[in-house]
Amino acid sequence: METFLQVVANGLMLGGLFAIISIGLTLIFGIIKVVNFAHGEFLMAGMFLTYLITTQLGLHPYASVVVVAPALFVLGAVTQKLLIQPLLSARDEHVQIFATVGLSTAMINLALLIFGADIANTPSSGLRSSIQLGPVRILEGQLYILICAALLVVGLEFFLRRTQTGRAIRAVAQNRAAAQLMGINVNWIYVLSFGIGAACVGLASSLVAPLYPTSSTIGTYFVLTAFVVVVLGGLGSIPGAFVGAIIIGLLDSLAGFYIGSDLREAVVFGVFLVILILKPSGLFGTRLKLSHIS
Amino acid sequence: MTFTKTLPASRGLPLAAMGVVALLAALFLIPVVIGDEFVYHIFITICLFAGLSTAWNIVGGYAGQLSLGHAMFYGIGGYAGVILMNMGISPWLGMFVGAGVAALVAVVVSYPCFRLQGPFFALATIAFLEVFRVLALHFRGLTGGAMGLMIQLKLGWEWMVFRERLPALIIAFGLMLVCLAVAHLIRSHRLGFYLVATRERESAARAAGVQTVKVRLIAVAVSAALAAMLGTFHAMYLTFIEPAAMFSLSFSIQIAMFALIGGIGTIYGPLLGAALLVPVTEFARGMLGAEALGLHGFVYGVVLVLAVLFMPNGIMGALQRFTARRTGGEEQAVQAGPVVAAARTAESPEERPAIGREVMRVENLDKHFGGLHVTNNVSFSLREGEILGLIGPNGAGKTTVFNMISGFLQPDSGSVSVLDREGRFQNPVTPGDFAALGVGRTFQIVQPFAAMTVEENIMVGAFYRHHDVNDAREAARETAHRMGLAPWLNAEARGLTIGGLKRLEVARVMAMEPRILLLDEVMAGINQTDVRRAIDLMLSIRDTGVSIIAIEHVMQAVMSLSDRVIVLNSGEIVAEGKPHDVVRDPDVIEAYLGKDFAHAQY
Repeated sequence: METFLQVVANGLMLGGLFAIISIGLTLIFGIIKVVNFAHGEFLMAGMFLTYLITTQLGLHPYASVVVVAPALFVLGAVTQKLLIQPLLSARDEHVQIFATVGLSTAMINLALLIFGADIANTPSSGLRSSIQLGPVRILEGQLYILICAALLVVGLEFFLRRTQTGRAIRAVAQNRAAAQLMGINVNWIYVLSFGIGAACVGLASSLVAPLYPTSSTIGTYFVLTAFVVVVLGGLGSIPGAFVGAIIIGLLDSLAGFYIGSDLREAVVFGVFLVILILKPSGLFGTRLKLSHIS
Repeated sequence: MTFTKTLPASRGLPLAAMGVVALLAALFLIPVVIGDEFVYHIFITICLFAGLSTAWNIVGGYAGQLSLGHAMFYGIGGYAGVILMNMGISPWLGMFVGAGVAALVAVVVSYPCFRLQGPFFALATIAFLEVFRVLALHFRGLTGGAMGLMIQLKLGWEWMVFRERLPALIIAFGLMLVCLAVAHLIRSHRLGFYLVATRERESAARAAGVQTVKVRLIAVAVSAALAAMLGTFHAMYLTFIEPAAMFSLSFSIQIAMFALIGGIGTIYGPLLGAALLVPVTEFARGMLGAEALGLHGFVYGVVLVLAVLFMPNGIMGALQRFTARRTGGEEQAVQAGPVVAAARTAESPEERPAIGREVMRVENLDKHFGGLHVTNNVSFSLREGEILGLIGPNGAGKTTVFNMISGFLQPDSGSVSVLDREGRFQNPVTPGDFAALGVGRTFQIVQPFAAMTVEENIMVGAFYRHHDVNDAREAARETAHRMGLAPWLNAEARGLTIGGLKRLEVARVMAMEPRILLLDEVMAGINQTDVRRAIDLMLSIRDTGVSIIAIEHVMQAVMSLSDRVIVLNSGEIVAEGKPHDVVRDPDVIEAYLGKDFAHAQY
């Protein structure tokens, strides 16, 4: 029983981690309808930035967020402006996929050029010490991640539903042309949204960096799970991503313990494929148009 | 995505063919002449990637299913080859075992995924690739796990392992030629047309009798088998394989990238892409060596981004635009050829064949969309050689009825029976069944295969009757002449006006030689001249014995064409009869203009 509770606790913590990484991805998809295949590399860039700030300036990793989140905002906004915007009217989606896939490849290898193949360890500043919560032990940093993820979901939902800009963003997400007719500057909303989505990744990087070693391929490691989470929750749904992340976290942890740690990825991706094929709209997503007649 | 015609049989052909032959010859001769180990290696790598990318293009280009998991099939081929070789079986045999397994895996994996589109299909293929990588790591007994597998060093042609480079080049070159030949064959035959049609408009392809799932499954199976054969070869060439290298996402991306840069969907684009990019990056890697770890990947990424932004149709697209500009004048001259009008010579109406027996029977159709009762107990029949007008206000359920009598929607209850050629009534279910019984339909919102030419659009329909390309082309040209589309045969469908597109819609169906024709508002939004032409056209079609059901809002057409009219309102038939009686029916006036107007009249 103790072990089971511990495995569940680990799963919840892992879920928090997946959530904080996935929120930006689902936000960007929900609004711009573009799957950002370079999402993991945004995380990687943020983690390297956190690493540099903490090691060079001696700041606490969490303090670096004041630089990392705005930096990622700019990266996201520029990506939207220069790469996605010109392709939005493209006749087919392949070009958009290739665009972000290309960006991802370029960023991974740029990191390899700059930082080499070595692993960069961000100082943990005590965040890797474990705390006892009833019968289970968890890492301090993991708990903060879970809390931050929950707060981010609430904060974003508030922003999208209660502020004027948020309403404009939702209007654009639901019908681009109609929003444009209502006088909303659609391109600006897209740039803003991509920026916000990327800034969420910036927040995630500062939280994750002290716990996980940073390398050029760390993004690929996380992003595939983020895709699973986002599809499970329903692409575009922020609360969905949170719930999906917790489910996948638990699944990952349980499968790793009871089936075998080398097969847990197979289990997670197996579930992903089942969802993708049986219910591609996910738990909270709006129905996807799979085919249309006349 | 641009779609290249099978090199048009004009003066462009010899030039293009010579270019391809010269490139192929160079790929083989340069390394042989130079004789340097490194140069050999580069050219073997070019052949490998050109082959893989050409194989990928059958699925990613022709079928438009963007797979980012093609390394899966390459990996399967590699492992099959090495495992069997270590059991004492020649890789020449292992190659085919790998190809068979890969084709099977491809079909099983793709079947459920074809419901997914765009990024979702890509994500699913990535997930499958990951599953394979994890499984290869897990089953150590078979694959050696993370440690990888070394091949037993048995040299010679029998084992596909050589000390010198020339034999490897010969095999790689040969396999690449096989891939190109297969790609060329598919693209220039019925399968290729069907694949592209399915990619462009799935529902229109189904209406044209294309079994869209089947043709795509054939495409993935062939593509996977070719990729696996190259995988076997490459494993023998590397003499060592491991899961991280054989089932790698970045390798998959590279395969797709060469096709994109060369020109997705074109036959020789992938070859061109690989021939240009592989040497650049390999040389960069060779020159800068370990100091520039990641440089070649960085170059790939940047090139991909730039290509997408500035050359989305690849090198082939750019070349085509260039040659089109140079030969533009000639094409104009060709286009100005004689316009064969569709107009029927004014014959006396008595000449039309008599209306015959029932050919379609629709009984008690019911359909709900959620709480909305869109079709309520609709029954009618259609006779041979008859034109039946289906009218009613917007939202009356006309198109829903059409979708149910062509297999695109299943009714909640009720039946549709169609007379087959043996004179028995059948109950078709799928669009394919309906097509087989000779029911053809058009779509209210035109669904052209936008990237295909007018001729190719019609050929997709013609293939239903003619399996041979030349026959289909001939039939398509004839149909185009009848429809007055002859001047635009070689124009891309996306360039037509709305009137032209509506005629193309009809032409594509007519090429299937249907016995029953379902026309959904083919006259909406076209000008008066075109309406008059369309009326003549429909009459001439009817005179060949074809039965027609036409949804139409243009009353001029309905009145002059229909033998009988059915009025649908809120999903129910409110009137049926001769056109002139129906338009005076108070129920009909009420349906269109409201109660007040109906009262005002009497």
